[in-house]
Amino acid sequence: MIKFLAVVKREYLQRVRAKMFIVTTILLPVAMSFFALVPILVINIKTPAVRVAVVDQTGKLYDPLRRSLGSDESEQAGANDARPQGRPGLTSFVLEEINAQNQSIDQLRDNLNQRLRARQIDGYMILPPDFLEHGQAEFFNNNPGDVFAQPTLQSALGRAVREQRLIEAKVDNKTRAHLFQPVDLQAVKIGDTGGQERNSGDTFAVVFGIGFLMYLSILMYGQIVLGAVIEEKETRIAEILFSSVRPFPLMMGKLVGVSLVALTQLTIWGLAFSAFALFGVNLLASRGVTSFSIPHIPISHFLYFGLFFLLGYFIYATIYALVGSMVTTAQEGGQLAMPIIVMLVVSFYLFLPVSRSPDSPFSFWVSMIPFSAPVAMVVRIVTHTPPFWQIALSLLIGFSSVLVIMWMASRVYRVGMLMYGKRASIPEAWRWARQA
Amino acid sequence: MAASETTIRLDRVSKSFGEFTAVRELSLDVRAGRVFGLLGPNGAGKTTTIRMIVNITAPDSGSITLFGRTIDPALQDRIGYLPEERGLYRRMRVVDQLRFFAELKNVRGKHVESKIDEWLARVKLSEWKNKRSMELSKGMQQKIQFITSVIHDPDLLILDEPFSGLDPINTELLKEIVLELKRAGKTVIFSTHQMEVAERVCDDICLLNRSQKVLDGSLREIKRSFGRNSVAVRCEGGDGVLDDPELVSKLVRHADEAQVLLAPGANAQTLLKRLMDSGAVIGKFEMVEPSLNDIFITKVTESA
Repeated sequence: MIKFLAVVKREYLQRVRAKMFIVTTILLPVAMSFFALVPILVINIKTPAVRVAVVDQTGKLYDPLRRSLGSDESEQAGANDARPQGRPGLTSFVLEEINAQNQSIDQLRDNLNQRLRARQIDGYMILPPDFLEHGQAEFFNNNPGDVFAQPTLQSALGRAVREQRLIEAKVDNKTRAHLFQPVDLQAVKIGDTGGQERNSGDTFAVVFGIGFLMYLSILMYGQIVLGAVIEEKETRIAEILFSSVRPFPLMMGKLVGVSLVALTQLTIWGLAFSAFALFGVNLLASRGVTSFSIPHIPISHFLYFGLFFLLGYFIYATIYALVGSMVTTAQEGGQLAMPIIVMLVVSFYLFLPVSRSPDSPFSFWVSMIPFSAPVAMVVRIVTHTPPFWQIALSLLIGFSSVLVIMWMASRVYRVGMLMYGKRASIPEAWRWARQA
Repeated sequence: MAASETTIRLDRVSKSFGEFTAVRELSLDVRAGRVFGLLGPNGAGKTTTIRMIVNITAPDSGSITLFGRTIDPALQDRIGYLPEERGLYRRMRVVDQLRFFAELKNVRGKHVESKIDEWLARVKLSEWKNKRSMELSKGMQQKIQFITSVIHDPDLLILDEPFSGLDPINTELLKEIVLELKRAGKTVIFSTHQMEVAERVCDDICLLNRSQKVLDGSLREIKRSFGRNSVAVRCEGGDGVLDDPELVSKLVRHADEAQVLLAPGANAQTLLKRLMDSGAVIGKFEMVEPSLNDIFITKVTESA
């Protein structure tokens, strides 16, 4: 036990004291918030309104289109030719009606093309006389890279056309307004106790969050576990270690040591994030904005989340350890680790079919297999909590698998060490695990 | 000798890896308080034998008794092992490494701290105590590695090629320490393929070749049994005589003298007479004990 603790202590202290640990602990949240903030800031940069000339040969659509685009606001402000203030995140338009009565369409187009080249307008739209029947028109512009303008115009035009068609069908104003009124479908979960809980996608967010957290920490710390196992091979300390400590406590010590490092880092981030979130929520609340609601989740579920998070982490970390025991250098390990990532991604996306039918035999088996259980079982717990024995069984299978894999890894590691510089093939590794 | 004086006893121990037999039917006794040389060329089975003694691998057949007990993992704590393949954690401070290796041998507490200081002073590395091992030179690292094998005050010390790559001064330093430990009653197993080194340190030896024991016993007795059939000669002329296969079975010319191994049946008097008859001017003619190297080569060629 002293030996096992000595290994744990060494792995933990060496890594927590390392500069890299301190740097990543501080830098990652900074980088994350940077990446989250930049798009918001960039999208808020105001762009000048797009000037569009409209040739309305139907003679009926210009005004509805203008209303539909919301550019009537500037009219109300009383400045017809003044540019409307660009609204953040949205393309704004200045429309100009071209009188199509006196000129032929070709003349008009020549004219407009000239203005387009002279950059007096950014584009023009020709709505042919039969537009209300066939709904086909063209938008000419000199900036095909503007991916926002065309769809905005299209949907505004669509609304204008629908409105106009209804007017022509003699539908009165009230009915028209009624027809366009949006609906609201609330998903409500019936709990086992018979109570009703509102469930508007919060559980989905929770599952996604846990899955993502697991995914992220495995990607980050799996490599470190791999490195820790290979370290003694690369520094040639393995033989000294094996003359002092049995392989299994050595491997477990390494795994636990690195995991404590991971938990330390995640806790620091978690606390920082909670502090930030509380601060942010209070700030929003003080400004009267309270769109944020904390998902309603029973306390017991949080315990399960914690356990399955640990299970997910340990299952994949042990596979990394097994890979580490088979190879001689970190580069080789990186190559062999690819299938792990594939497995991880697949089991992560299994949350889709499982959340659709949490009680199906498929969901049951998937939540028993250790590699997919962490995500699948959390999904089942959140959507339709399975009987306790299933949860317990899943945890039991999972954590026993961790021990079995570690045991195999320690055997493979020891034999591999005795055969210097030789990378094990999978059948060889299996043979080593049995004979050692 | 009494059984209690035996530190290690191997009884018909064999170990193979697949098709390859690394150690075949090896039996040997290592006596307490002596330096035991495990000698042989590369690939003779020395390292495999040691690994079985320190319980890294188990023998396929045969038994190993250590301190009067069948080996088990608990006995590992009484052994200090410096493998040929050795290293240090690069980013760890020297003092932390030594403490870690002591803990791996179930030794901890204040006592260890003073031990660390003592040993660092002994190998003249006190001022490097708080440096990371990557900052140390290769020779310094080797001395630290040596300390890791003795920090827990083991009763049995196993050194695999301990001096390889060390300069003469440090070699001498470590050799002195080994002899001190021997005087303190520790048993030392010393594995090497450098016969000259073994000759100066070992009390008993065991020669291994191709996974089998070729020869074992006390170094002195072995040398005596080989008799004085070696002659160191320094002379001018007389080359024809030294090349005569009837008289000389092996001739090794050094810078200013030659080492002559007499042919079976020939004797030194005849050689001296023939040299004088040939008119050679003799500067030195001395009967010497055969070197371990000579014995080894003779034995290996015999057994082949």
